[in-house]
Amino acid sequence: MTATTGPTIEVASLTKVFRRSVTAVKDLSFTVSPGRVTGFLGPNGSGKTTTLRCLLGLVRPTDGQALVDGRPYRDLPNPTGMVGAALEASGFHPGRTARNHLRVVAAAAGLPASRADEVLEAVGLTDAGRRRLVEYSLGMRQRLALATALLGDPGALILDEPANGLDPEGIAWLRSYLRARAAAGGTVLVSSHALSEMQQTVDDVVIINKGELVQAGTLSSLSTGERVVLRSPDEARLLPLLLREGSGVEADSRPDGSILVTGLSAAEVGHLAFSGGCELHELSTESDALERIFLDLTRGDA
Amino acid sequence: MSAPARDLVASEWRKVATTRIVWVLTAVAVVYSSVQAGTLVLIAAPGLMEGLAGTVLTDDLLAKPEYITAVLGQAGTASIFVLLLGVIAMTSEFRHMTITSTFLATPMRGRVLVAKMALFAGIGAGVAVVAFAGVLLTTTLALVPFDHAPITLEAAASVLAGAVVGLALMAILGVSVGSLITNQVAAIVTALVWVMLVEALVTLAFPAVGQWLPGGALNAAMAVALRADMSGGMSAADVLPPWGGILVLLAYAGVFAAIASRTTLRRDIT
Ligand SMILES: Nc1ncnc2c1ncn2[C@@H]1O[C@H](COP(=O)(O)OP(=O)(O)OP(=O)(O)O)[C@@H](O)[C@H]1O
Ligand SMILES: [Mg+2]
Repeated sequence: MTATTGPTIEVASLTKVFRRSVTAVKDLSFTVSPGRVTGFLGPNGSGKTTTLRCLLGLVRPTDGQALVDGRPYRDLPNPTGMVGAALEASGFHPGRTARNHLRVVAAAAGLPASRADEVLEAVGLTDAGRRRLVEYSLGMRQRLALATALLGDPGALILDEPANGLDPEGIAWLRSYLRARAAAGGTVLVSSHALSEMQQTVDDVVIINKGELVQAGTLSSLSTGERVVLRSPDEARLLPLLLREGSGVEADSRPDGSILVTGLSAAEVGHLAFSGGCELHELSTESDALERIFLDLTRGDA
Repeated sequence: MSAPARDLVASEWRKVATTRIVWVLTAVAVVYSSVQAGTLVLIAAPGLMEGLAGTVLTDDLLAKPEYITAVLGQAGTASIFVLLLGVIAMTSEFRHMTITSTFLATPMRGRVLVAKMALFAGIGAGVAVVAFAGVLLTTTLALVPFDHAPITLEAAASVLAGAVVGLALMAILGVSVGSLITNQVAAIVTALVWVMLVEALVTLAFPAVGQWLPGGALNAAMAVALRADMSGGMSAADVLPPWGGILVLLAYAGVFAAIASRTTLRRDIT
């Protein structure tokens, strides 16, 4: 595994319009830094795959740029050694074996055929390497796509929904592999709509919806802080007390009868309840799951 | 940029060697051209076909050296399979979406096209050699029971050279057609309909035009067109010289490839 720093990936005012009518990506800008795992999140059809394909020179941007190390992919002197990519639905010839597929790509990249066996081992496909791809399951194909990305031992990995079809063990392995890659200085950009699993893997997130940027930043900057959950028989008296504390405070009742408070800590809520003489049946905190933030951010028609 | 051209051709060769289609179509081409040659011997054999053909075959064709050369020239009938091999090589990348990993490794797309054409020139030549070997063997065996003009080394050598050049060009043409029509089924159907229907009819009706079409040019390139007998009514005046045939085939392939690299090969890969 390379210990050198991976390239920076930059998407600048990227717009892609398909067939003059379908705007898949709209004025999208974000940067992906080396040494970190960046999650690229968005609901189905939000333009993730299109953005990644623009980055890889497979789709021509209508406007703006998608650059790796400051250059368009096709101008990279050694693309396979700089960027390893595994794209959703990238194809394999069904009659070829996994090993031969890798040897085809290795040759085109000017790499020795022995790399095929090395990457098969890295993704745990050594035993299945000589089987024809028509026999491969979805999860095995995902592993092979990842193996293909690793052939050139690239500084950057660009993976489109790499966890799709992987078993829990495979997902755990992928997670630690990507973390290790980033820890070694690599650049890692992973798209997903299965957010819960990203939460434990990513340092940074880029969230898009309908082709437009919703939010970009570190995972921790996304969390809007603690949410406090309470139950109280005196809720009618308590809520005005809480809301009086500041304009940033919000309280919503939830279907289960509890109240969700944002903008105050549990200690502050407890103190206000006590000094107001309100009885509490529950006072707990809930940390913001990425899932919920994501749903909030991408909810509603723009 | 990226890997040297030699590596690209090596990659293309691995694509071919690790799937079955080339071996299958090569075998079919050898069998087909050998059967054609054997048939030509038998229909010309005195006594064998007289019942069927009436008294048309009054000449003893097998005694004519040109006829023997024409029989060997059946190696050229492998050309249709070689054309299809080239078409399939390019279109299967789009059909199976391996074009994604191909263009990821080689983002300069034109280089992929050139590497494929270079490799398939070699494959066309290779198929020509084995098809010729099959034809030579079949012809030799089929001629055993009959009196016939000898198979001369010069005739064999010139037919082989013609087949090697002609089939190499046909394979290149196939790759260029496949890059222009990237849908595999559409490309195969177009190639077959063109060769078997359009070109056959045009050549029959307008031989002067037919000589400029790929099939006519191939015949010229192989220099074994048997004029009246073999080329659907072409007279000698309507066959280009061999170098003319070579240039015409190269021009077709070059123009198709140039158009493809500005149109179909620039498309988004999604
Ligand atoms: N080749 C194409 N022609 C026309 N429209 C396209 C094409 N490719 C993608 N689109 C459209 O662009 C939009 C974005 O698609 P994209 O595949 O980038 O989304 P995605 O975020 O990857 O979705 P998913 O999570 O389902 O993979 C969609 O509306 C899609 O229909
Ligand atoms: Mg997608």
